[in-house]
Parts: sequence; structure tokens; C-alpha cells
Amino acid sequence: MAEPILEVHDLRVTFATEGGPVPAVDGIDFAVAPGETLAIVGESGSGKSVSSAAVMGLLPSNAEVRGEVLLDGRELVGLEADELRKIRGNDIALVFQDALSALNPYYSVGWQVAEAYRLHHDVSKKVAFRRAVEMLDKVGIPDAARRAKSYPHEFSGGMRQRVVIAMALVNNPRVLIADEPTTALDVTVQAQIMQLLADVQEEFGTALVLISHDLGVVAEVADDVLVMYAGRAAERGTVRDLFFRAAHPYSLGLLGAMPRIDVPPTRRLTTIPGSPPSPGSISAGCPFQPRCAYTERVGERCVTERPELTPRPGEGDHEAACHLGRRPEVVA
Amino acid sequence: MPGIVWFVVRRLFATVLVMLALSLAVYLIFYAIPADPAHLSCGKPCTPDRLEQARHFMQLDQSTIQQYLNFLRGIFAGRTFGDGPAAVRCEAPCFGYSFPLGRPVTTLIADRLPVTASIALGAAVLWLLIGVSLGVIAALNRGRLLDRLSVGVALIGVSTPSFLLGLLAILAFGFWLNMVPVNGYVPFTESPVDWAWHLVTPWLVLAVLQAASYIRLTRAQMLEELNLDHITTARAKGAGEARVVVTHGLRGALVPIVTLFGLDLGGLLGGAILTEKVFSMQGLGELLISAVGQLDVAVVVGVTLFSAFLIILANLVVDIVHGALDPRVSHG
Repeated sequence: MAEPILEVHDLRVTFATEGGPVPAVDGIDFAVAPGETLAIVGESGSGKSVSSAAVMGLLPSNAEVRGEVLLDGRELVGLEADELRKIRGNDIALVFQDALSALNPYYSVGWQVAEAYRLHHDVSKKVAFRRAVEMLDKVGIPDAARRAKSYPHEFSGGMRQRVVIAMALVNNPRVLIADEPTTALDVTVQAQIMQLLADVQEEFGTALVLISHDLGVVAEVADDVLVMYAGRAAERGTVRDLFFRAAHPYSLGLLGAMPRIDVPPTRRLTTIPGSPPSPGSISAGCPFQPRCAYTERVGERCVTERPELTPRPGEGDHEAACHLGRRPEVVA
Repeated sequence: MPGIVWFVVRRLFATVLVMLALSLAVYLIFYAIPADPAHLSCGKPCTPDRLEQARHFMQLDQSTIQQYLNFLRGIFAGRTFGDGPAAVRCEAPCFGYSFPLGRPVTTLIADRLPVTASIALGAAVLWLLIGVSLGVIAALNRGRLLDRLSVGVALIGVSTPSFLLGLLAILAFGFWLNMVPVNGYVPFTESPVDWAWHLVTPWLVLAVLQAASYIRLTRAQMLEELNLDHITTARAKGAGEARVVVTHGLRGALVPIVTLFGLDLGGLLGGAILTEKVFSMQGLGELLISAVGQLDVAVVVGVTLFSAFLIILANLVVDIVHGALDPRVSHG
């Protein structure tokens, strides 16, 4: 892997609540290099969105962030609000899941893209607007000069997501974090948006952190994958490590729950029984243990001892946090 | 744009219909009261003969419907009461004639309106500033001392009667501190400084009372707005807190605030009865109250209709402004 542009070490996020501190992210590491794509995968509540918000410094004031977030070697955790503001939207940009609610309904899309540009460039509104039109054109909005004056509700879902991407890319950020960018879109539009992200990534050498629960999309675009469960890393490796040599029962569960074109449609998709533990209720053992089909083979250790990431066979730094030593066969 | 023209035309047409229905209702209500206005004008001793004369002169001897039609005709063509040298002429638009005051209702309203408008407009500017800024401050400091303080002020404001606060203000600023005049009104055209100096206490009293509901509304709206996804987008773009709160947060909270403001102002322009009474100002409210005391039905009907017209007009203006403020309404 090339020199990473964004490195996260032992990131921990704890929310102070009335019922005491609740850990949402409990020590994760990841890194992404220019032009590469890291996918962070996991169920709702696994801490993947909280992690990205922590990187951007966008968490509410009751969240405590510890660990290291290095952008090109520069520490972002604990940075002055104003310094962080200069980085947000300029060096690191965010693409949200729901483009309709992510856009301000009261301003034209051109104005909103131009605002993102003006916040980091000392230019006139006119120049910024011209730049916005250019950007809208680049992300494939037809008749951009005219459409820039339209409001978000006048666009289709796919076009709105293009607007959000234009807004994120207008300052040529070095890192783009896309939080489920295609979840709200239908499949053909999904493919177009992912293609668009791949194109700009190639053109500008942007590092992409893709947060997703859609393993189909992940298989398509990711270089590396981080599987999160209950605020911790369950498994990480290259995309081939995960799809061909998955070592964590949770990863296997996710793969089994994915519809596949090479399996007869009469076969039911497998599901992972139970639901993820709520943050704060995790006991000493493996957080996945209550839902794990392999607990019996390992025994007591799963309940008493929390598994750490340990190396697994694979291409690069393939690691999984599971007491099961070798790769588990799929339990039907 | 022709859309908005059509909208206004339709609404104005509807306004005329509502005013017609309203005038009929008001007319019937006030003419159904058992007292006879002619009694007051007939002098003492009031012989049945003279009473009949007075009734004929005031056109009270006709049927109620005929009187109402006379009233309507008077608006467009003017009216003449009696004939010969004693005839009283009420020029169009004639909204009735006050025999006790010896003047057309239209003139009376036109004379009193500047006083009421001065009170209402000055107070409106103040309460909007106070209410919105305290509301924003409360929302930004939710749950903390400043929030509690603002909400407390709002609660006191909502529950204090205007005559109490008015009298206390006169007592404190007028008599004890001897800072401001305790009553009276000086026309703006005579001396703008004296005008403002006489009005500053009623402005403050009304503003404090009215600001209460604006604090509460702004606070609630801002709390809702600041939780929306597009606020996070604004932060992610690198907008500073002030820009996030004002340009993105307050902009969305504006529609309901402007709606309330328009209706409140419309209502107040029809006469701030208690405030005018407390500060001895000869405004519309004072005109209405003394007319009720003297059974001056023409004035009561005229002022009531005028107030109703202002409220309908305020509704119309609010709807137009709403369209201008929310592109989802105007760019449907």
C-alpha cells in the first residue's frame, strides 16, 4: 500500500449520557492511501457512521473522542475548532446517505455548491457560482447552468446525490468519506453514482472511505475492507481476503445474507440470528458471542475473553478478532 | 411569476367575500342589541315624536336588511342623512356616521390609525428582535442557565397582563425615575424625537409581553432545525458556527416566525386596547372602547370591520411572504 493520506489509530468514541458513558467506537484502526478505497462494513449501530463523524470532528459535544486521526501526518483530534473548520470540506469532505435531507431546502443547489467553495476560497459569489456550475456539469447534471438555479426538491434522487457529490468535490478534497451514498437510490442509479465516484477518484487521486452495508457495492469498488461489529473491528483485510478467505463468523454471516446470482433463487438467504448488542451492554467476552454459531467449538473462551485482532492467511494484513483459529467452514 | 399574480387575485376576491359575510354578521349582532342608539341623540326630554324624528334621521326606522344595504351602498356612493340644510353628508367610502361624535367613521379611523400604528410598528420591531435573539440563544444553550433564563422570561411575559406591566412601567420609569412622559402622544410629523420619547414605554411593555411567544417559538424551531441533516452538511462543508446557526438554521425557522409576526401585527394594528388605555393614547382601541360605552354602533361596526380587514390582509401578506420564503411552495 502507498503512503496513507488518512490514518486512524485506536479511535475511541464515548458518549456521555444520563445513564453513564456509552462507548460507541471502541478502538479501531484504519488507513487509506490516495486513489484507494477503504470500505467500512457493518450493521446499523456498529459505529461506522460515528467513526466517520469523529474523523470530521462532527460529533455532538457530549461525545469524547480519543485516539489519533492523522491527515497527511497532522493530528486532527483535539484541533482548535477554527483549524478543523478549515480542513472540513476542503481536505476531507463528506457525502451523506440521504441527499434530500442533506441539502438545504431553502437555497438553490448552485448556491449550496458555491457556498462550499467560498468557505475555503476568497472569491466573489459570482466566481464561486461559476465554479459550482462547472462542478455540477462535471458530475453529470444536464444543462448545469440552468439547473444550478433550481432547488433540491426539484431534482430526482440520483441527481440530488450528484449535487451532494459536486458539493463534496468542489474543493478537490484529498479524502472523501461517503456514508452509504447509494442506499437511498434504486439499483441502476446506484451503479451510475458508484461509477461517478470511481471516475473522480481516478481523476483527482482522492482517497475514498466508503461506509456501506451493501457488500455487492463493496466487492465492486473497495481495495480494503474493515468489518465493524459493536464498535470494534471484527475483521480487516483486502477485498479478496474478505470475500474469499473470510475468517470471522460475523463476516461469513454478512456474506451469507447477501443475495447471489450464482445460487438458485429458491434457496433462502441465511440470516444472523439475534441483533447487535446495544453499546454499553457488552460483557467481558466476544461481543458477537451471543449470536455466533461457532461458540460451542471454542467453548468458555468466547464468554470470558475478548478476542483481539490476530493475523490470518491472506494477501496483506488480513486480521480477524476471533478465537476460532482456522477458517471456519460454513455451518448450514 | 404569473402564478403569484393569480394567487393574489384569487385571494383578494375571497377576501371581498369574507368581508361581506363578516360585515353582515357584525351588523346583525350589533343591531340586535336591545338598546336604541337614537335614544342618546334625541336629547332630554325625549318625546316619542322627537325619538321618531331621530330614528328617521339616523335611518334606524328602516328594516335591518335595508339598513345593511344602505351601509354597503355608502361604502361606494357615500350617504346623506336627513335633508335640507340640516342634512349630514358622509362621503364615500362611508363606513357609517357617528352621531355622538358628529363625524364619519372613516375620518375617525383615519385620525386614530397613526397612533395605533406608531405603537404597534415600534413594538413589533422590538419584540421581533428581542424574541428571536433570545430564542436563538436559548436553543443554543439548551438546558443551561441562559436557556432557563430565557424560557423563564418568556413564561413571565406570557402570563403578565399588559395593564399590570404597563402601570408598573409608568410607575417605575415615569414617576420614580422620572425618565419618560407618563402619557400622551405627539405626532411623528410634529417632532420625531418627542414622538419616540412618548412611545418608548408602551413599545417596551408591548414588546416584552409579545416577545415571550417569539422566544418560545424561535427556541422550538431552532432546536428542530439544528437537528436536521443539512445542518451537519453545512458543518461538514466547513461553515463556522455563526454561519451554521444564522444562514442555515435560522433561515429554516423563519417561515413560522414570519407567519406569527404577520398575524400578531395585523391584530395589533386593529387597536391595542389595554395599552392605549393605560398610556392614555387616543388610538383605535380607545375609539372602540368609548364607542361601546356610548352605544355608538356605527363606530363599533366600523372599527370591528377595519380590524377584521387588517387580520385578513395580514393573512394574505403572510401567505405571499411564505411563498417567497419557501421555494418548495413557490417552485412547486
